[in-house]
Amino acid sequence: MNLSEIIFLFVVLATMAGGATAVLAGSIIYAMVGLITAMLGVAGLYIYLNSSFLAMMQMLIYVGAITVLIAFAIMLAGPLYQRPKEWTTLGKFGAALVTGLITLLVFLRFVKATFPRNFPQIGAPDFHLGAKEIGRVLLNDLLLPFELISLLVVVGILGAIMLALFSRGKR
Amino acid sequence: MRALFYNYLYVYLFVSLFLLFCGIVGVIYRRTLIGMFVSMELIMNGAGLNLVAINRFLCPENAYGLSFTLFIMGIAAAEAAVALSIIILIYRRYQHIEPENLKEMKD
Repeated sequence: MNLSEIIFLFVVLATMAGGATAVLAGSIIYAMVGLITAMLGVAGLYIYLNSSFLAMMQMLIYVGAITVLIAFAIMLAGPLYQRPKEWTTLGKFGAALVTGLITLLVFLRFVKATFPRNFPQIGAPDFHLGAKEIGRVLLNDLLLPFELISLLVVVGILGAIMLALFSRGKR
Repeated sequence: MRALFYNYLYVYLFVSLFLLFCGIVGVIYRRTLIGMFVSMELIMNGAGLNLVAINRFLCPENAYGLSFTLFIMGIAAAEAAVALSIIILIYRRYQHIEPENLKEMKD
């Protein structure tokens, strides 16, 4: 086991621990920090998948923008000391766990059936698709979804501003 | 030569499956709307990781998976803006953000 494998194991463990913290933490601030850890771990996994452009985009959009939005929402949605705890009843936790385990089993069977055991799992060593190839694909084949995504983001941001500005609260 | 640990497709699939599991558990288990939103972000991260891993191992000659991961990021940004503004609106009107007590939808 050389150094890169040890770092990969650390990245995988950080991702898993971040995901578990984001779900199980009692305070919403800790959940947000766990979400940041999970997103940084996914960015590290993108680097191990030879797509560093996506890792950079992950850190810019998810870690940089969405986490700041969540922090703003936490700050604007009331003071923390009169917030109820994040836990609900034990029965609900059992229901959530059962639903998650059913999903896990279904997708494990799906993975096992789709990728059989003798599948050549060694990745292609010459995988270097950077921003250039992504840009070619976005402007050649996927031009319509690309423009629709930009329209969606504009409409979403305008809708958020309209909702936040012109809404009257019941005092 | 032994294959390195991070050159297997299964590892990435299992990590993204674990993220999906955490997200589904969190969406049901959380009490406030922001906690449910955090769990949904976990699900989106798992989907993106899955797409990139399958693109890298199964069809390494074109970049469709990477492009769709970028689309997922854009959709996540728009969804975050709208969802968090709706959460703040709910807080302004009802003074709490628990989805159990939201019983009316229109005034």
